Amino acid sequence: MSISPGVTESPRRRLLYRGAEADVILGDWQGLEAVFKIRKPLTYRLQVLDEAIRRQRTVHEAEMIHLAKNAGVASPFLYNVDIESSTLVMQFVRGDRLKDLVASLSGSQLAGAFFEFGRDVAKLHRFGIMHGDLTTANVVKSEERLVFVDFGLSVRTARLEDHAVDLRLIKETLVGAHSDVSAHAIDSLNSGYASVVGQARSRAVLKQLQNIERRGRYARVT
Amino acid sequence: MRRYIVGIESTAHTFSVSVMSSDGRILSNTKSVYKPPEGSGIHPFEASQNHLAAAPKVVADALDISGVPMSGLSAVAYAMGPGLGPCLRVGAVVARTLASSLEVPLVPVNHAVGHIELGCLLAGSKDPVVLLVSGGHTMILAYSGKRWRVLGESLDLTLGQLLDQFGRHHGLASPCGMAIEEAAASSSNYLRLPYSVKGNDVSFSGLLTASKLLLDGGRSFSDVSYSIQETAFAMVTEVTERALAFTGKKAVMIVGGVAANGRLSGMMSDMARRHSAVVNMTPIEYSGDCGAQIAWTGWLAHSCGIRVPIQESRVMQSWRLDRVDIPWRN
Repeated sequence: MSISPGVTESPRRRLLYRGAEADVILGDWQGLEAVFKIRKPLTYRLQVLDEAIRRQRTVHEAEMIHLAKNAGVASPFLYNVDIESSTLVMQFVRGDRLKDLVASLSGSQLAGAFFEFGRDVAKLHRFGIMHGDLTTANVVKSEERLVFVDFGLSVRTARLEDHAVDLRLIKETLVGAHSDVSAHAIDSLNSGYASVVGQARSRAVLKQLQNIERRGRYARVT
Repeated sequence: MRRYIVGIESTAHTFSVSVMSSDGRILSNTKSVYKPPEGSGIHPFEASQNHLAAAPKVVADALDISGVPMSGLSAVAYAMGPGLGPCLRVGAVVARTLASSLEVPLVPVNHAVGHIELGCLLAGSKDPVVLLVSGGHTMILAYSGKRWRVLGESLDLTLGQLLDQFGRHHGLASPCGMAIEEAAASSSNYLRLPYSVKGNDVSFSGLLTASKLLLDGGRSFSDVSYSIQETAFAMVTEVTERALAFTGKKAVMIVGGVAANGRLSGMMSDMARRHSAVVNMTPIEYSGDCGAQIAWTGWLAHSCGIRVPIQESRVMQSWRLDRVDIPWRN
């Protein structure tokens, strides 16, 4: 695997995860255990389009990872940004993805985890950040707190609609991939969300989420 | 003993009837397709008039070609929804008539589930991530917990609508996908268009507006066709890739009318390779709307005891496929 100049080649590196748009590789960077998130060219996309998207998302993600900390939400420490190879080098967050944890959590643990998830999402929103990719694969339970990763689709926005789209994806993921516990998890998520932004705002966002679902094809939302 | 079912599709522009056997053979699949005037889309009432006029012959031909006597049919399946009201009602009337005269069960089928189940049968796909792309749908799905679950979808227009509305703006008649694909093949001049992926979902409305404006501004139909295809298909491929990576499944199946587009399937194959996954294609003849999708899914439902009394056999213009229980899958 070739890494462009500026990103130190690591003697020990292994593929952690092949995501949709990036390879996530564990290696080391200047003596630190580090994750290399490499947005490889996607050959199905036209080169000019692909390069613009990869470059934009890489730079943008670096900014948003930093901003999330200002919002009071844990995100990895960023070590380096290499625009040429669309690579971010960052802290390796030890822990389990929420996606992999869900099945093994008890009812109360699940409620606790999703309350925390909802609370942190609300912190991002209150700060004017839409994460843009809130699947359960992008939240890591590390020791006692949740760490949000993958800010590639994040947007600075305070619009109700955008915040509702964020919650919609969580709901979509829960119903799609964790259908057995989704109702329980969504309730806890909503409570956690409201605990930060307040009942009124929370209700407004959920109402907007319903509006979005109503716009969906053939939807009958009651 | 082998048994037979007749399926009736009548949700939009296509009225189609198919006889299938219980072991999944398509014995006939006849159709009549309503064609709107140049520059127009489907007028629901006009389409229903086409179906009404065509129904007797399409039904008779399907039965004749199949070689199955009327007395050999075990059930009648019909597309109960989703779709255009006037069109759905034609199919429902024909289905009720057949079921009551033959005194066999009437089986309601969700049209979108029909696309998926027929696709799985013909492509030999067991547990795929499904990309359903047509005039009515743009959804990425996977089976879990007794239902086909939506992992991503368009937040506004479907891919078929995007292409049709763009084509109609240029004066074509729906469906415009093939003309756009042909026009795009003669261009390699990419014009920058909005690329809108929101999580697992896509949005096409801005892309449509921008594409129309490019046409109005004097850009050639082939350049804009090329650009709209490259942009929209890349968006859909990206969210399908996300679903594939997220679920860890090893197959992608493309169904629906837009599955016929070679550039889209090419992008999907390219993407799937990166994940050591395969792309399962439905034969083009059966990827768009057809009676066979209703017959086969009707058979699966019938074998699980699903039926509807004739007096309760309504049509449902809005009927999301993730609301349909799928008892025949594990």
